[in-house]
Amino acid sequence: MYFRLNPECYFVRGSKNGAIFDLIDGKIVALDHQETELMTICENNEPIYDGRLFRELKKLRLGNFYLNKIYVQKLRIGSPIEEQQIGNPPKLYRAFLEINNSCKRDCWFCGYYGIRRSLGCMGCNKWNQNGEPLPTEKWKKLIDDLRNLDCKSIFITGGDLTLIWDKAIDILDYANKKFDNIYIVLHKRSLSENMMSYLTDKAKIIIQTENLDKQQLDGYIYLLIVKPEDRNSVDGITSKNTIRDFVIRKPESLTNSSLMTKKKIQLSNMHLFLNNIKYHPCLGHTLAISYTGDVLPCPMMRGHKFGNVSTREIYAIFEKEWEDIYKFWGLNLDKIERCADCEFRYTCIDCRALEECLTGKIDGKRLCSYDPKEGEWY
Amino acid sequence: MLEFYSGNGNMYAWDNEVGLSIPFSHTMRAVMNELSDQKSISNKGIIIKKLKKDFEEEEISYCYDWIKKWEKIKFQNYRLQIPYTVSISDIRQFVLRNCLLQLTLNVTEDCNFRCKYCVYSNNYKYTRHHSDRYMYFSIAKKSIDHFFSLTKEGLRYNPLRVPAVGFYGGEPLLNFDLIKECVEYIEDKYKMYHTHYVLTTNGSLLDEEKANWLMQYDFSISISLDGPEDEHDRLRVYRSGHGTFQDIMSNIKPIMDAKYKKIHSQTVFDWKSDLFKIDEFFNRSDVPHITGASIVNNVGGCKYYNRFSEEDNTAFMKRLEEAKIFYLENHDYYKSHAGASFFDLLFGKGAAQVLFGPGSLLHPFSIMPFTGTCVPGRKIFVDVEGSFHICERVPSNIPIGSVDRGLDFEKIAEILSNYFNHLDKCSLCKAQKLCQKCYQSFATDKGFLCSSKLCEELNHSLIESLTFAFTTAELDPDIVERYDIPHEKSEKIIMVNKNVF
Repeated sequence: MYFRLNPECYFVRGSKNGAIFDLIDGKIVALDHQETELMTICENNEPIYDGRLFRELKKLRLGNFYLNKIYVQKLRIGSPIEEQQIGNPPKLYRAFLEINNSCKRDCWFCGYYGIRRSLGCMGCNKWNQNGEPLPTEKWKKLIDDLRNLDCKSIFITGGDLTLIWDKAIDILDYANKKFDNIYIVLHKRSLSENMMSYLTDKAKIIIQTENLDKQQLDGYIYLLIVKPEDRNSVDGITSKNTIRDFVIRKPESLTNSSLMTKKKIQLSNMHLFLNNIKYHPCLGHTLAISYTGDVLPCPMMRGHKFGNVSTREIYAIFEKEWEDIYKFWGLNLDKIERCADCEFRYTCIDCRALEECLTGKIDGKRLCSYDPKEGEWY
Repeated sequence: MLEFYSGNGNMYAWDNEVGLSIPFSHTMRAVMNELSDQKSISNKGIIIKKLKKDFEEEEISYCYDWIKKWEKIKFQNYRLQIPYTVSISDIRQFVLRNCLLQLTLNVTEDCNFRCKYCVYSNNYKYTRHHSDRYMYFSIAKKSIDHFFSLTKEGLRYNPLRVPAVGFYGGEPLLNFDLIKECVEYIEDKYKMYHTHYVLTTNGSLLDEEKANWLMQYDFSISISLDGPEDEHDRLRVYRSGHGTFQDIMSNIKPIMDAKYKKIHSQTVFDWKSDLFKIDEFFNRSDVPHITGASIVNNVGGCKYYNRFSEEDNTAFMKRLEEAKIFYLENHDYYKSHAGASFFDLLFGKGAAQVLFGPGSLLHPFSIMPFTGTCVPGRKIFVDVEGSFHICERVPSNIPIGSVDRGLDFEKIAEILSNYFNHLDKCSLCKAQKLCQKCYQSFATDKGFLCSSKLCEELNHSLIESLTFAFTTAELDPDIVERYDIPHEKSEKIIMVNKNVF
């Protein structure tokens, strides 16, 4: 007798344990070592004896028994053969446009002071960096170029955008003619009601804040700064439009409640899971353009630069630097130390900017409380 | 769903909405029928009650739950709007982003061979016949300029495209001076594009001087070779009727001796071919790796097969079946062999194409909703007089521009509209995502014609292909999960990590 997982169920082995991922219902079944070995036998199409594990998995509608050796095609998106064709266009899904670097506030969590945050890419930040900002016309040209490259969404960010309000809305209005999916990042204290009503319908507004209002407004995304000492206390926040932006001051400040914990392992959707098999969960399909025009893997990875759009157009940067860009896009977690041993690697989050900062290595790993070699959370 | 059984006796079904074949069973079919019956109430309890006399209760329950789960990922079935129209700006953008892969110059229609199955012989109704026309440099130059002008514009949409320029015939080496002139012109004017050059030749004129020049420019040299001497010479002969094999083998020897990697063979066979001998031949180290194998094309208006009897067909089908069995029984040998074999291409690659070719879950591009056809402009085939065509195989009465007009996007829109308006059955077809038919399959001198017979035949052959693909995959998934990249049997198509199942 044979037991095989259904097409929608992927089985991923870590160095000790494995897990089954149901891509339709979003369930994860974590297996112990013995179960992992049994599952490996099954998925290698070897015969098995009926057993508790398999009956349980069938009850969960994750697999079935067969009398003969059978081939189960796994659920996928698209055509693997089509994707392997040489010369396919790059799949750019997300571009950060950091159109400004000025800010009069003096927030303690700002990138200006070298503070790193888990969502520093998305939140407001300014950088201790000089340089000539790109003029509005260049940003508009870049927006045209990103549209031609079939980029799916853009994030307009950088410093306090209200200080360059006319420029920001000029760029936003232009982007609106080209993109359906636009995000704009502003600090809560800078936002006026007039600004908010102007932006509604033009962009999805991400509001950086240190404190949540009792009544959060619908239709906005709140990015809540979380200090190291408050990590555990914000676990109860479940508001659907609030994302927690953890501050990492230094590695020593990391407690057991590191960024990646057992609670956070979840299978959000099949697109991400399948994407993560090949690409980095965050850097994949992403680029950032700094206020001076530097093209970066992400807004926080300022030490890596593919070129500058003031001297070369973005398509030309793709053409010449594709190998380097792909090194970041294709940095899936199989290539990250520790993650390579982990069965949850395709459903996990990972901030390379923070990890590199904390470990000094592009493939280092610090922010995780799972030991895949032992199969234990600590 | 298209149901089929594998060699192991397992039942599967092709689910066109998802674009994947799933394990299937009689119980699954019965539950699906109950669920799709609009008149009855599809409550789990009722269905179990109704079906339990024929099937096990636990299995009915399992199938019910799983089908309900599976349905969550199904989109509404794609329906083509007839009359089909597509905007010229959409086509232009699509071509600039996804097409323009190769400019093929038909440098001459002249050929020193008279191959029995030649697409330009009198056997085919809708293609040109043998002629002695040659292309002039003025035509080639205008084509090249236009192609690189589009390539330049297209860089903004797809900066990763590697443009290729191919030389085709007739026998292209009969106009070798023009080939040299074109390459020198491209290298002088368009060097920054790092053009990839491709030559399809019968190999008879490939002397050492020409070979050295082609290798210097890093050409991909595609040699038409139909197997060992008796097999090859049965089909590929000079005008005089004499065999061509010895001349070709002697010409390619210096290239093979130089260990040049970018030379490969393309083979064509018919109902009289000895498949085993062909397979054995292409495993020889002095023969270029085989990268293409196809049976003589039997498209509309083809008379080639009139020469064969029913018995010939029966005998061929028997040999084909024997070859399949031999391939499966010796799969360990084929897996370990460096480079793809004839049987790998015939069976393994075919199975991989059936399993991993269709786009699962994604809607097809709205611009090309049905069949496996390309959008005209993916390649540009230029005939000797400077007319642009969809490719070398599509009849010449459907041009898509010319050296003077350039690529005609309006004409492409018209061709697409005409094509899809004749495929009115596709939106209901159960094998929609598996269909590999294209313009060539439906072209006539009066436009496109899609016959029910053609679709019936296609459905029949798809079921055969699925059956073989799953039989092979059950035996050893490794055979179908590898996609042959020319010259190396390397990466697996689906998973690079052995710890993901």
